[in-house]
Order: sequence, then structure tokens, then C-alpha cells
Amino acid sequence: MALTRRLLLGSAGVAALGAAIYGGSRAACSFVPRNHPDFFSLLDIVPDDAAARRLGRLAIEAGLAPDGLSALGEKLAEGPLVRAAIAEPCPTTRAELLRDGCAADFAQNRFVTLDGWVLSETEATLCAAKLLAGAA
Amino acid sequence: MISDLRAAGAPADIAGDVCVVGTGPAGLTLAIELAGKGRRVVLLEAGGEGYEADTQELCKGAVKSGGHIDIADSRLRQFGGTSGHWTGLCAPLDPVDFEPRSGSPHHGWPIRRADLDPFYLRAQSYLDLGPSRYGWTDLVSVGAPLPLDPARVETVIHQQSPPTRYAEKFLETARAAAKIDCWLHANLVDLTLADGSDRVENVTVATLDGVRTRVTAKAFVIACGAIENARILLNARSQRPAGIGNEHGVVGRYFTDHMTILTSLVLLNEGVDAKIYCEPFSVDGANLELALRLHPDVIKREGLNNNHAFLNARYDDALYSDDFRNYGWTSFAAMLKAFSHGRAPDRLAERYCDVMDDVGGVTTGVYRHVMRRFRPPDQPRAFAFRQDAEQAPNPDSRVTLAEEKDRLGLNRATLDWRIAADDFLKLRRTHELIGAAIGAAGLGRIRLEIPEKPEPGLAYSGYHHMGTTRMHADPTKGVVDADCRVHSVKNLYMAGSSVFTTGGASHPTLTIVALAIRLADHLAATA
Repeated sequence: MALTRRLLLGSAGVAALGAAIYGGSRAACSFVPRNHPDFFSLLDIVPDDAAARRLGRLAIEAGLAPDGLSALGEKLAEGPLVRAAIAEPCPTTRAELLRDGCAADFAQNRFVTLDGWVLSETEATLCAAKLLAGAA
Repeated sequence: MISDLRAAGAPADIAGDVCVVGTGPAGLTLAIELAGKGRRVVLLEAGGEGYEADTQELCKGAVKSGGHIDIADSRLRQFGGTSGHWTGLCAPLDPVDFEPRSGSPHHGWPIRRADLDPFYLRAQSYLDLGPSRYGWTDLVSVGAPLPLDPARVETVIHQQSPPTRYAEKFLETARAAAKIDCWLHANLVDLTLADGSDRVENVTVATLDGVRTRVTAKAFVIACGAIENARILLNARSQRPAGIGNEHGVVGRYFTDHMTILTSLVLLNEGVDAKIYCEPFSVDGANLELALRLHPDVIKREGLNNNHAFLNARYDDALYSDDFRNYGWTSFAAMLKAFSHGRAPDRLAERYCDVMDDVGGVTTGVYRHVMRRFRPPDQPRAFAFRQDAEQAPNPDSRVTLAEEKDRLGLNRATLDWRIAADDFLKLRRTHELIGAAIGAAGLGRIRLEIPEKPEPGLAYSGYHHMGTTRMHADPTKGVVDADCRVHSVKNLYMAGSSVFTTGGASHPTLTIVALAIRLADHLAATA
């Protein structure tokens, strides 16, 4: 197919239209309330493997983590660093804030032992959330 | 001067100021110190200058325990005693070891660590440890100490002895010392109290071929190891039916050992350097090794036993695995060392056969040692905790007399080493708290490997027999007083780790030597 002026203009128009639709959608969506926990952003950090799911199950069974996504979200948001991590858009900074939040847990004796692993309460809660989110 | 009781013309009576029974680190140190202060010492050794199977056989006894322990082969009944095969790691007991502990009714010595400090310093040279560097703080000059919260977990320093073999180091000293009258093959078979008195008048020693001699002195010290010390007192029933010093039934009780366990997985984050915890290093001529311990306030608050956890690197590369270390390798190393010093190793036939039994393991060990020189390891990130963990003192863990008698007519010993589930659970909690400190510092995570329902078989003896004539101010709770004197006998003293009230988390030899020097000062002033 020959590259014609009409084709170039058409393509640019389609691209511009696409960008406008995407930008407009993002802008419009920011006003739409979400019905899923906002700590989902943190779940990307939790490994998606059997070990994490086992720890999550143990945490729930032992009553160390609530058995429900919204309650888990509330528990996670108790810590200021984890709260900041939830709101942080940059994945690297988010991971750092979460690490600091876990360290703060240990420093405040907020740790649990699951399957022998000595974990911060935040870690245990996240494993539980990963399990429940995967099942949802 | 060293003589042999088996030689013709052995005297029927021997006399001195102080009679010391046993030539291990406790007895020989004591004799050298006393001789240096001008006291005439009669030093009695049951064995000869080297290993002799018939003498060693006298240590045999029965063992009842869920843990892995030995009563006879871990001891050496020969000149120099068990220093002939100790491994050389040393550290003073921690100050917290001497203090009472809530929730553990039998913790607490009648002395404090400060009482031993000057003697620890003097003990250093006996064990060729170099200058005392246990309190050295300049760790950053040799590497990167883990940045753990010191209010939770501290780094503790141990020093490594070559290890000193007392027979090699002090045989000629004893031979040349005019004030030391050392007798080999002199087995203590009885203690005699003066009629109607609470003083030992003499002790009877005998050879295996029936020569008997009486030794008189102003003071007597028994320094034969924790099992033999108890066995000797319990066998001395001719005047005291329950045994000398056993009026309250305490002799032989509170036997304790270190629980030697390699357990728990420590995973450090990438970039965390723990090298100085994995390899010994030298400072001012002292060879140091580092371990982690809980802060004493944490130990007291939680009611835990003491523990020093060394980091054992776990490598993926099999080249760095030490799984070849077995009796074969130990014997091979001992033979190699002896031959390299131009002499034949003791127990050559036994060692040779150990190697033959494990040729594969020894070959693997040689190969790995050579290859390690060409292929340095990656920085390890996974570790196990290696420790000789303290047990809480337990009166039911004890040495008693068996029905069977040895060739000298003495009842053999039965050892019932008890390991309480609580000892394991306290160690588990210790690891958990160290793990929390590692997490709080953002260094990594720990996985506990001691189960919540532990079995005694998890623990191996550290071969540190302790506590059977323990030191306590109350005669119903201990056999000797703060001066190591048997409560009920005016001139009878016990030396060695049998007097330890608790085991702490340090290997016992340095404290044994320090206590011997302290006892020598006391006897020199009183005997």
C-alpha cells in the first residue's frame, strides 16, 4: 500500500483520538468510586507462589490475620508506612516503604511465627490477602 | 617431679601441703599455681603420660538419656586430662549467667562475674589465648558488624586456643617442678575422714595391679571431671553412708551439658555482609570468633536460658559443605597434625581404622580442602545457627552409682542426662527474638527449625559435663560453697566444671582454669 497524505493524516487522527479517549477515560475514572481494597497495589510485591499462599492460609487459620479482604485492608492501613506504601504510585518507592513498614513491625514486636518463619504482621497479612484475592 | 606408682619401691605414704587429684586443666593449673606459691603439691593422675585402654576403661558407665551423650570416651584419663582432645573455643561466662533468673529457680551462683574477672585474665596464658579481647569493640576495623539493635541482640566474642594440650605444654613443667610430686597410675579409691571430725585425713590411691598408697595433706582437691568427681564422692561411703558431701542428696544432681545443635535458617538480604561472623580473624595475636546473643535484659525479662549463636554459612556449592566431618576425618586430621610435627599420633591403630572405615569421607574432605583454595565461595546469604545452648539446671538430671563395679572395686556411674522440652522451647524463642531483631534491622528473615513439640534426640552433648558438685550458698542446693569447698568437709575442695552452678553459653575450659587459679590463691592463703 502506498504511503499517501491521506493515510498519514488518518493515522495521526486515530492516534490522537485514542489518546484523547484514554486520557479522558483516566480523568473520568478518577471520580468513580472503586469497590476493591486499595492495598491491592501491594499484592504485586507478594510472591505468587504456593509458599506465600500456605503462609496466608496459616495466618488466617491461626487467627493472626482477618478472614476477609476489607478487614485485611483495614489492618494493613493501621501502620503509617504501609498506608504511605498503599498510596505510593512508584513501585520502587512502594516496595521500600513496605520494607520499612515490616522493619517497624519487628521493632515494635509486631511479629508472628508461621510455619517456622518469623514474619512481620504486615507480611503475614499480605500473604493472607494474596490468598483471598487469588480466590476471589 | 613425676613418678609412677606402678614402679618398684613406690612409697606406702606420700605427704604434701595440698593433694590434687587429676591433671586436667583444673588440677594441673591448680598444682602449678600452688607450687609457684611455695606449697608442696601431691598431684595424682589415674592414667599415664598417654592414652591407656585399661585405665580409660574405668570411666565406662551406663547412660540413660533421650539426647546423644557419652560418659567415657569424651573424657581422657591420662596426664593432661580431657585437654588432650578439646576443641579450644573459649569465652568467659556472661555476667547474667551468675545472676538469679525469674522463672528458673535453680539459676544463680553465690559469686558474681566480677569475682572471676581477674582470674579470667590470668587463665588466658594457660590456654595460649593471647591477650583478652572478649570486650573488644572495634569490629568495624575488620569488617561489617550486623547493625542490630544492641538493646535486643549483641555480638559476643569468643577466642580460640590452639587448642592447648596440657600434656604437651606442662609435662616438662611438672617434671621439673621441685614442689610438685606427681604420681601416675594413682587412682583415687577412698577418702578417709579423721575420726569424729569433718576433715579428710588421707586419701587412698591404687594402681590397677594392686599397689596401694596413702596420701596425707592439709587440703585435698578433687579435679577429675564432673562425672568422676561425683562418682568419687558417692563411692566414699565407709564413713558417710550416702557418700562424702552428700548429706542432702545433692551430689551428682543438676548434671548439665550444652545442647549442641545446628538449627534454624537465617536468610540475609542481598548485599548484607556477614563475613566476619563466618570466619575467625586475628586481633593483636588473639584469634576471635563472633556470635550473636540476646541482651541480658531480654534474657531476664523473658526468663530464657543463655545462648551464643554462631552463624554457619550454608552454601549451595557442595564444595563448601563440611558433611564429610566424621570420626574418620577427625582421626585423619589428628594423624596428619602429629606426623607434621614429627611424631606418631597417640591411638594410632584406632585412628588408622577410623580413617579406613570412612575412606570416602576422608577423600571427599581432602578434595574439598584442596579445591577451596582455587575456588573461593560466593558471599553466603543463608546460614544456620550453631550453638552450645544452655539448659536450665535440673536436679533430676544426674549421676548416680550403678550396681556394677570397676576393677578397683568402685561402683561405676550411671548418667541420666535430662533435656526438658522447655530447654528447646527457650532456645526456639531465643532464635525467634534474634530473627525479629534481624527483621527490625531490615537485614533478612529467619525460619525456626526447632519444632513446637521437640524431641530430646535433637540435642547432642557438647561433651561439657557440668554441675554435679555445684556451687551454692545453701548446702541443700549445692555441694560446694563459694570457695569450692565441700560444705560438710573442712578441707575438701572440688575443682573443674562439676562446681558450675549453671552452664551458661560459653565452653567451660576457660572458666575451669579461672576457678582453679582462684582456688589456688585461696588454698595458698589458708592451707
